[in-house]
Amino acid sequence: MADRNDAHSHDAQRKSPSASRRNFLQALAGAGAAISFSSRIANAQQGEIGYWAKDLSDAQLTNMFSTILKIRWYERTLVDKMLTDSNYRGYNHFYVGQEAVATGVCAALKNTGGVMEADLIYSTHRPSGHAIAKGTDIKKMAAEYDFRATGLNKGYAGEMHISDKSIGFMGADGMIGPGPVIATGSAFAIRARGSKQVVVNFGGDGTYATPHFHSAMNNAALLKLPFIYVIENNLYHQYAHYSWSCPMKDIAEAAGTYGVPGVVVDGQDVMQVYNAAKTAVERARAGQGPTLIEAKTYRYYNHWGAPGAKPGELGAFGYDPLAISSFRPEREVREWMTRDPVDICRNTLIGWKVIDATKATAMEAAIKQEVLDAVAWADKQPFCKPEDGLKNVFVEGSVAARQFG
Amino acid sequence: MARKSFMYSVLEAVQYEMRQDKNMIWIFELTPPVASNPGRPVINLETEFGRLRVANTGIDENWMAGCVLGAGLAGSKALTYIPYQGACMPFQMIQNHAGKLRSMTGGDAAMPVVFIMEMTGQTAGFAGQHSDYEIDTYYAHIPGVKTVIPSTPADAKGMMASAIRDPDPVVFLYAAGLRELVEEVPDEQYLTPLNKAVVRTTGSDLTIVSSGAGMPDVLDATEKLQKAGMKVEAIDLRCLKPMDTETLVKSVQKTKRLLTFDQSYYTLCPGAEVIARVAENVDGAKYKRIAFPDAPPPAAPEMFNWMRPNADHIIAAAKRLVS
Repeated sequence: MADRNDAHSHDAQRKSPSASRRNFLQALAGAGAAISFSSRIANAQQGEIGYWAKDLSDAQLTNMFSTILKIRWYERTLVDKMLTDSNYRGYNHFYVGQEAVATGVCAALKNTGGVMEADLIYSTHRPSGHAIAKGTDIKKMAAEYDFRATGLNKGYAGEMHISDKSIGFMGADGMIGPGPVIATGSAFAIRARGSKQVVVNFGGDGTYATPHFHSAMNNAALLKLPFIYVIENNLYHQYAHYSWSCPMKDIAEAAGTYGVPGVVVDGQDVMQVYNAAKTAVERARAGQGPTLIEAKTYRYYNHWGAPGAKPGELGAFGYDPLAISSFRPEREVREWMTRDPVDICRNTLIGWKVIDATKATAMEAAIKQEVLDAVAWADKQPFCKPEDGLKNVFVEGSVAARQFG
Repeated sequence: MARKSFMYSVLEAVQYEMRQDKNMIWIFELTPPVASNPGRPVINLETEFGRLRVANTGIDENWMAGCVLGAGLAGSKALTYIPYQGACMPFQMIQNHAGKLRSMTGGDAAMPVVFIMEMTGQTAGFAGQHSDYEIDTYYAHIPGVKTVIPSTPADAKGMMASAIRDPDPVVFLYAAGLRELVEEVPDEQYLTPLNKAVVRTTGSDLTIVSSGAGMPDVLDATEKLQKAGMKVEAIDLRCLKPMDTETLVKSVQKTKRLLTFDQSYYTLCPGAEVIARVAENVDGAKYKRIAFPDAPPPAAPEMFNWMRPNADHIIAAAKRLVS
C-alpha cells in the first residue's frame, strides 16, 4: 500500500471541511488521478450525479473506510486460513478488490429494522463484502463459513448462501440469474405497502446474459419499482471475460432500452459509488423507479478458492487449473491492484482531512485484530449435529431419515 | 484400448462424431470441452473445431438448451453441456419443447440433440444450490426425451455415441462424482444401447438396483456382501427412460428380494419406479428403498455426510432383507 504521510491535522479540516474536500477533488482531477470512462453513459450521467459524499459527516466517512478495511481483512484472513490451516473447511468466492462497491452502496441505505423497515439487498455468490457492508456480525459469519452450529445460519448455508434478515441482507445466491427477479418481487411488495424502503440487487457482469436480467429490468421499469440493479463488472464471469456474454463495452447501456437511468462508476472509488447509489436511492424512494448502476471493478483472487495465492500476500497470480480459455492475464491483475479501493478511500479521507495517516494506520491495526478475534471465536464454535440436517425443511418438525433403508 | 477417465471417454465419442459430421455443433458455458489422459492426445473440441462450431457463451442455460433444440430442428446434430449450477434452468425448454415437438408435429420434427446435465451432488459443503442429487427423475419424468445415466467411462463413451446418433433428444446425466473414475475403454467408436440395464454381478439371494453416482457404493457393498456369503445380483440401470423392466423383473423373479439405492431424493427417486415395475410383475417379493432424505442438502459436512446414503447403509439393509 501507498505511503500515507500527512501533515494536516484534524483541527485544520474541521474549520472548513467542504472547502478543503473540494480543493482536494480539484487536485485529484488536475493530477489525472480521477478515473474517467469514455462511455457516453458515464459522461452523460456523472454531471447529474452530484457529489453527495463530500457532505457526509466525518463519522460517516470514517465508517466507510472502516467497512472497506473490515471486508479486506476478513477476506485476507480467510485466504491465509485456506492456504495454511488444513482443519479449515470453508471455501470462498473472494470479494477483495471490489470492497468499494458494497461499501459505497450500503452507505446510502438504511441498514436496520428487519425486512419491514430496512432497505433490502440481494447478494451474489461472492457475498462477504455485501454482508459486512450491510452490518452482519463478522464472528457469526466466520462461524458460518466453517459450517459451525452457532454460525449465522446454523451451519445450513456456508459461504454461498449466508443471509441476515435482521439487517435486510436477504442472502447470498449461488445461482447466476434468478436473484434480480426475486429482488423485484420484494420491491413490488414494498411499493404496494407504501413503504419507503428500496431494494438493491448486486449482480456480476455474467448476469447480463441471463434472461433474468431482462425480466428484472423490464418489470421494474414497467411498474416503477424502488429497485436498483448494481452490476459489479469485475470483467470475468467465472472464468470468461465479460465480452463473451455482453456485446457492449458498458453493460449500463442496456438501461436505455428500458427507459431507465444507466450509470457507469469507478468501482474502485467508494465516493463515486456512494454518489451514484445515493442518487438512485433518492429516485427510488421518490417513486421514480429503478436505476442500473455499473461499477467497473476487479477481483484480486480467482473465481473461487485461492489458487495462485500465497499466504500473507495480496492477490492471486498465475494459471488457474479450471480456466482453459479467455482467463485474466497476470499483468492485468497487477495493473488493477495499483488502483486499490483501500488506498483510494484512505487517500481521499486524508486529503479531506477527515483522518490523518496515524489514525488510518491505527484503524487498520484495530480492524485486523477484530477480524482475527472473530475468526478465532469461530474456530471454537461447536460442529453441527448430523441429525439436524433433517430439520428446517418446513417450519415445524423434521423430515424422515431415508438413508438407512 | 487404454485406461481413460470418464470425461475423456465422453469427449472421445463426441470428437469422433464431430469429425464425421461437419455440421455438428457444441455449446457450453464455464466447462470447456477439454479432457486429457496420461499418454493420450489432449482432446480440445474448442480449438479443434473452432468457435463457429464450438461456442463458449454467456451464462444462459435456457438459451443453450434452446439453441441446440433449434439446431436439431434445422437439421444439425447438436450438444450442450449444462454445468451443475444450471442443471434445472433449461427444464421448461426440454419439458415443453424438446419432449413434445415430435408428437405435436405428428411425427415430423426430429431433434438429434444431446443435453449433458452435470450433477454434482457428491460434494459436501457446497450446500443448497450446488449439491442437488434430484434432477435424474425430474428429467426422466418428461415424455419424449430419453434419459440416460451411465456410471462407467466405457458405458459413457458408448452411450454418448448412441445418444448423438439417436434421432430423438437425449438427456445425458453426468454424475460429476464419477469424474475420477478410470477404466479400460476401447479406442474405436462403438454403440451402447440407450434402453438396456446391465447386470454387474449375478446372484440368487438379493437384487440391488442403482444408477449413476450410486453405483460405486453398490459395487463396494456388493463385494463385501459376496465375501460374507450373500449372493447379490447388482444391476446398473444406465437408462432411466426407457427403463429396462425385463432385466429387473427377471432378476427379482429369481431373488425375490429387491433393494434399491439412490443418491436422489426419496420421494419419486428412480428406485420408486423400479419397485413399482417389479411389483407389477413379481409376486411374493420383499422390497426396500434407500435414498437421500426429502431435504435440501445442508452445508455442514456433519449433517450432509450423515444424510448421504452409503455402502454401509446398503449392507445393513441387505442383511435385514435377507435374514
